[in-house]
Amino acid sequence: MAGVQDWVLLAYRMPREPSSPRITVWRRLRKLGAVQIVDGLVALPADARTKEQLEWVADLALEAGGDASVWIARLSSARQERELAARMAAEVAEAYQAVVDEVAELRARPDAIQQRTLGRLRRELRRIAQRDYFPPAVRSEAVAGVAGLAEMVGASP
Amino acid sequence: MRWATRSGCHVDRSACAWLIRRFVDPDATFVFVDDPDEVTDDVTPFDMPGVDLSHHGADCTFETMLRRYQLDDPALWDVARIVHEADLADDHFDAPEAIGLDVICRGLSMVRDDVEVLAVAAALFDGLYEYRHRALLLGRDPA
Repeated sequence: MAGVQDWVLLAYRMPREPSSPRITVWRRLRKLGAVQIVDGLVALPADARTKEQLEWVADLALEAGGDASVWIARLSSARQERELAARMAAEVAEAYQAVVDEVAELRARPDAIQQRTLGRLRRELRRIAQRDYFPPAVRSEAVAGVAGLAEMVGASP
Repeated sequence: MRWATRSGCHVDRSACAWLIRRFVDPDATFVFVDDPDEVTDDVTPFDMPGVDLSHHGADCTFETMLRRYQLDDPALWDVARIVHEADLADDHFDAPEAIGLDVICRGLSMVRDDVEVLAVAAALFDGLYEYRHRALLLGRDPA
């Protein structure tokens, strides 16, 4: 059985030097949550936003003197697609888990919770959401945890 | 002049169209294409991969346009920072307005076609520009 959804792929190659465009590309891909298939080939579930964002990354690679092309593709194996989705979910699950852990620590010493801490955790949740295409179970725990902290901050004088 | 960009206008394209009409070409008309190959020689393309008025290095298209047309109004550069973060969200700038602007533009494109999106967005960016303009004059956020 074939995969059920379209993926947008970026195939790219960049000169080793200068390194700063390589780092910019790497950061952009990381922020988008692109998953690496093999060296120089990354994927995201296809939608208007991910396709456009990978096209911009492709432009960056081309401007830096590299090669890049953007593809729309479908996995011929549904099992491999599930594995890919699971790999992406695991990556964001780790980030959500870190939020859950921090919430647990903060609940243990409520006087350390400040509006500032809350703001930082909320921003962190937003950043994770930007690369979360297959929300893992721990996501709702993290969201509920931060909401719980908000109530504690609101309740404290 | 005629200008071309990709259909399905999001924040960068909407902001650029506003910038073009207000600061570059008051009589601008816009055409929307799905593929860069549909662009004919008599139109100026923007915010499409591979064209000059587009992303370059860390810049989004709005920033590229400010550079190309030598628009050095600091209020426009404030708008540019917000557009950059709404478009790319790469934490290059501190622009808390960006998250809201991104959502507003996405929602807008769900309920309006491109021509209408540009019309509504023009009012939005007029307001954003005026706000940043006053903020710079006052040295603080206007009431």
